[in-house]
Parts: sequence; structure tokens; C-alpha cells
Amino acid sequence: MPQWLQSVVDYVTKSNNTPGWYADPVASAIWALIYIILIFTGVSIAVIAMNWLERKILAHMQVRLGPMRVGPHGLLQPIADALKLLIKEDIMPDQADKVVFWLAPVTIVITAFTVYIVIPFGPTHAVTDMNIGLLFMLGVSSIGVLGIIMAGWASNSHYPLMGSLRSSAQMVSYEIAMGMAVVSAVLMTSFKGGGNFFRQIYGTGGASVGTLSMIGIVRAQEAQQTWFLFKFFPLGLIAFFIFAVAMVAETNRAPFDLPEAESELVAGFHTEYSGFRWSLFFLAEYAAMIAVSSIAVTLWLGGWMRPFASLHGPNVEIPNYWSGGAIDLAFALVPALTFFVLALFAFIGTVRMPKHRAFRVQTIGLAGFALALGFIGLVLLEPHVRDRVQDIFWFSLKVAVFMYMYIWYRGTFPRYRFDQLMHLGWKFMIPTGIAVLILTAALGLGS
Amino acid sequence: MTMKKLLRKVLLLDLLQGLSLTFRYQDPKEIYTEQYPLQRPEVAERYRGAPRLNVNPDTNETLCIACDLCALACPEHLIVVTSERNEKTRRKELTTFTYDLSRCMFCGLCEDACPTDALELTQDFELANYTREGAIWDRQTLEQGPQPTVYKK
Repeated sequence: MPQWLQSVVDYVTKSNNTPGWYADPVASAIWALIYIILIFTGVSIAVIAMNWLERKILAHMQVRLGPMRVGPHGLLQPIADALKLLIKEDIMPDQADKVVFWLAPVTIVITAFTVYIVIPFGPTHAVTDMNIGLLFMLGVSSIGVLGIIMAGWASNSHYPLMGSLRSSAQMVSYEIAMGMAVVSAVLMTSFKGGGNFFRQIYGTGGASVGTLSMIGIVRAQEAQQTWFLFKFFPLGLIAFFIFAVAMVAETNRAPFDLPEAESELVAGFHTEYSGFRWSLFFLAEYAAMIAVSSIAVTLWLGGWMRPFASLHGPNVEIPNYWSGGAIDLAFALVPALTFFVLALFAFIGTVRMPKHRAFRVQTIGLAGFALALGFIGLVLLEPHVRDRVQDIFWFSLKVAVFMYMYIWYRGTFPRYRFDQLMHLGWKFMIPTGIAVLILTAALGLGS
Repeated sequence: MTMKKLLRKVLLLDLLQGLSLTFRYQDPKEIYTEQYPLQRPEVAERYRGAPRLNVNPDTNETLCIACDLCALACPEHLIVVTSERNEKTRRKELTTFTYDLSRCMFCGLCEDACPTDALELTQDFELANYTREGAIWDRQTLEQGPQPTVYKK
């Protein structure tokens, strides 16, 4: 490595292990930029993968095969779809409000991606650590409603307008229930001494009360040695349940996908959209799904922590039954093993590929895929990488479970009627949320 | 509402039941879809598809005795049989056999009428054609049957 590059690397990596707090503003900006690029590509790839997985899993739940033709088991289907969307004619309705019609999908995509800057993929893997992180996330994601109203209004057509009113009403209603659940989780961060406890462990950071910082919330779970899901059983579980339902309604997904009621509203707010602009809505929908799942993971499922994580602070060590050299190592090897298993599946697929000439390109492609997965697994075995990346792995794994749940719900539940949806939101979710909040506060008085 | 019903509702047991059902259906063994050109469907034994004029497998001679009963039985009059008297053996011998599939409704009356089981409606179902004339099958086509491209998995 040349001298100047070494000095740049030294300069940039002079951190104190907190995102957004590097040696000086320039280094912070560089790291922020790197993470932004990584997150943007990562989320885009996740959306592509999700597109394929959703069609495949949904098909299997309905005893179908799903895409099979483009690439082995339809693996290249999302790429074919993306190409089709980009090549399509760009249609703008004649009577539409041109500027707003163009701005609406851009607004939604920007809000969906802005949220990611506070999501902690690991204790040091985040664009920034805001002290109002959670509030920022909820606030920015609410601006997405504005994009939906803009899309419905600018289309200058009946169905999009009705659809956008419906989905915005739904999103606004469920935001209240969601807020109640979130507040009870935030309240839990203040227990057991809250921020004082952090200060004792980490020397800096954390207020004397609870915290809204996404990293702080996971730190609190680390300090209290429990995921908030299991805190004050079953209070944490109920709050999590409310959030899990509200987040499906927030992202307008089945069984709450009322804006897309084909028989009544055609495709809801994006009826008039096609081609590239429609694909922006699609991208934003899936990005938003990943974002709200990450909020749920951060708040209730211990964020980047591995299952049964013990506490390793600079000043305090709290070991538990599931910690210690061998077990820590076993958990650290899980990411690499996961990739090896995936590579094995791809390899078996390659071997079982038909030996016909027409399948040669597909076979080579699948073999390359298997090699890439195996290579990632090998890289993850390297101790330095292993320690830095396993936080990201556990976080992604938890988010992936949520993404699977989204598909699972879609494959199982019939859609709610609109009045049933409102009934559930206002008469059940919100009162339960308030009750959970009060009970959490009462139980918290003792600790 | 009884206690049991209330508990079912609060604990969302019905929803969980539904979830477990869809989860079990993900097993690849449950998949019902056939990948048609690669995987050929098994047609029912009674299915009445493409007609075939059977030949004697040993001598390769047609079983048809040119009795014209099938043409008489056909409600659409789409079968035309022509024959020639063989002066040596004093037997009627088949010369041409035309079967207009485009008008056929696969009622099966012709195969019922056939005294020698020469005409038969088989389980072949690939009858698509590029021209109307292609749907009119002559004796050779009827003896060979449709020959679709075979794809291997």
C-alpha cells in the first residue's frame, strides 16, 4: 500500500467506535458516504432478491412453481422485469399535473431511503447516530404519505385519488397505534438506570433518562441483558405484536393492501403510473418494508445482537450462561456456515442441471453463483472480517425473518374490508397500545 | 360468546392455523404445476383425442376393411373412405381414408361402429396446426398419429 493511501486510511479509520463520531468532520463525511453507497446498493439488491423470493415463496404456498424460465428456477426473472420496466414507453396522462406527477414517486423513494441513515446494522455500522434517531425515522417515513397523496392528486383520475385517500387514511390511523407501541419500547430503555448505566459502561453518551437513538436502544437491551420482546412478559410481546400489525398496515401490504383493491380501485394511487415511475413506487414499497422491519428488529429483537449475547463494554463485562470463548466462536462462525450451505445448494443445483446444450449458459451462471457464495463464506471465516461483519449478519437475518413474514401473511390472510381495518386500528390497537404503555410505565417504577 | 371462543379470538388461533397450513404447503412435493413440454401430462384412459387408423404390427397391413361403417356413423359426415376390389382375393382393399379433424367433435361414434377396431380415438391431444388444410388428415397421418417435438427435462 502506498504511503499516501496508508495515511488516508489511517486518517479515516481514526474512530472512537461510534458512527458519526470520527476524528474530524471530513473523515465522518467520508465514512458516511461509504455507508450510504453500501446501504443503497445493499437495499437495492435486497429489493431485487425480495421480488424473486416473494414470487417464489408465494407460488409454493399456493402449490404452484412460480417463475421457472428465466435462468435456473427463474433466478434472473427480476432482472428481466427491471429491463422490461425501463424499456417501457413513458406514459404521462394528458390531464395530469406534470410536475407533481413526476415529484410524487421521487418523494416516496427519497423518504424510503432517507430512513436508512439512522438504522444501526451494527454498533459501528451506521451512517450516523442521531440522538433523536427513532423520532427521525418515524417522521421521515410519515412524509411518504405525502408522496402517496401527491401521486393520487396529480394523476387527475378517480381511482388514484380514492386510492390515495384510502391509503393515507390507513397510514395515518395506524401510525398512532405504532407510536404507542414504540413509546413503550422507548420507555423500557430508561429502566435499570437507563442512560446512567450506559455512562458507567461506555464512559460517554446517553442521557440520564431513556434514549431515542437507535444505537442507544440496542445498547439498552444489551445492558438489561434482554430483548425488549421478552421484557415484562407479556407486555413487550403485546407492544411488539401491535407494532408488527401496524407495520404491515403502514406499508400497505396484504392483508391490509386496501389501496390495491382491484375490483374497486384498480391499482390504487399508482393506477396511472407505468414504466420507470411505477418501478420507483415498487422500489420504495420494498425499501419501506425493510426499513420498518429494521425498526421492529432494533426496538424489540435486540438489533445487531446475536441470540443470548453477553455484554462486552470497555468498563463492564456481564457474562451469561451462553457466553465464553467456545460459544462465542460458534456463534461467530454461523454467518460463514450460512453462506457455505447456500453455496452447497447452488452447487447441487448445478450438478442436477440438465446436460442439454440449451442449458449451458444457465449451468455456468449457477456455478458462478455457487462460487461467489462460497467465496463470501471464506471471506467471512477470516477473524477480522468475522468480528466486524457478524453484527450485520445477525441484523440482516432478523430483518429477513420479517420479510418472510410479509410474504407469509400475503399467502395466508384474506383482505380486510376498509371499515374492519379502521375498527381494528382505532378500537383495538390504539386502546391496547395505551394500556401497554401505562402498564409498562407502572412496572418500570420499581426498576 | 363462550370462554373458549373468546380465547380462540384473543390468541388468534385461527390465524395461526391458517399460517401453519400455508407453511406446510411450501413443501416442493406439494407442487401441482406440470411443466408441460418437459413434463407430459397423464391423460385419462377414456380420453378421446386424435384418431388413429391401426395397422397390424406384425404384417404392417391396415386393419381397416373399408366397410364404410364409420363414415355412415359419423354425425358430421367428415370421414371419406374409398376402396378398390382386389380381383385376385375378391376382397375390398382400402385406398384412401380422409378424416376432417376441423369438424370433429370427438363423439366416438366412429370407433364404436368399427367392426375391426381399426379406427380408434387415442389419448394424443396435440392437434394444433398452422393451416385449415392441415386439420384434414389422410391415411398416412392417421396411421402415424401426431408427432409432437419431444423435450427432455
